[in-house]
This record gives sequence, C-alpha cells and structure tokens, in this order.
Amino acid sequence: MDASIEQSDLDRLSEKDKGELRQFMTNEQQRTRIQSQTHALTDICWKKCVPGAVKNNALDSSEQSCLANCVDRFLDVNFTTMKHLANMRNQ
Amino acid sequence: MDSESVKKAVIKQVLIESNTANARQLIEKINENCFEKCIPKPGSSVSAGEKACITNCMEKYMAAWNLVNTAYVRRIQQEVNNNSFET
Repeated sequence: MDASIEQSDLDRLSEKDKGELRQFMTNEQQRTRIQSQTHALTDICWKKCVPGAVKNNALDSSEQSCLANCVDRFLDVNFTTMKHLANMRNQ
Repeated sequence: MDSESVKKAVIKQVLIESNTANARQLIEKINENCFEKCIPKPGSSVSAGEKACITNCMEKYMAAWNLVNTAYVRRIQQEVNNNSFET
C-alpha cells in the first residue's frame, strides 16, 4: 500500500482516531528528538573515547565506560549551564 | 478507506519517514567518522586493509550509538524522576 494520503482521506478520520494520531505524533517527535541527540552525542563521545586505529568491530571495556561517562558528564555540563544561566537571570 | 485504515496509513508513513531520516543520519555520521579513522591518507584506491577497517569501524560505531542511546535514555528518566526539568 504505497498510495499517498490525500486531504480527503484525512477528512474521514473520526475524532477518536484524530486524538490517537495526535498522541502518536507527540511520541514520535520525542523519539526523533532523542535519536537526533543520540547522533550528536555519539559523534562527540566517539571522538573522545575511541582514539587511535580501529582494530576490531567491538568496543573494549574501557571504551564502553568512557562512552557512558561521556554521556553523563556532557549532560552534567548541560544542567550546570542551565542552572547558572537561571542564577544569572535572577541576580 | 475508513477512519481506521486512514489512521494506519498515516502511522505507517510517519514511521517510514522518521526511520529513514534516522538511518540517513547514522550513515552520514559513520561515513564521516570512519573515513576519518580508516583513510588517513587517501591513496589511488581503497586498500583491502582500509576496507576491513571500514567494516569494523561501522559495526563499532553502531555499538557506540546503542550504548550512548541507552545511557542517554537512562539519564533522562533519572532526571524526570528527580523533577530536574521543573523549576
């Protein structure tokens, strides 16, 4: 089924299905945001945690813990920045 | 089409588009980062060693993506539980 969806099809949606679709879109938007952020974080943390030549197809244990720490510390920085900004605004 | 099949068609189309966009982003990042790692000095062709490096790098990058995604989702959930987003 690859027929494109027309406005006339959308007009046939019941209120209940419209509501379900709105919820679905909200969830999808969140999933997309998290995936985009994961792409950015993986890029940043790959550069920091996987230095040197690639020798095999798996992450060793030090690379694994570095990646997990990298994500947490990046978010710490994020939160610290937001808190500090809030403090500056209140001064 | 009745309401139910229109709904299903919309959901299907949205999923195809967002999954395609996600895959495209991943491929772009893999190309960038693995080219950087595996082809330090571009020669007249891609050598067998460079090819092996690229496939290893690709699988390793995907493993890194999954690990980062898990760590990120865990952290978000933790912050939500701590009400960190409410000030």
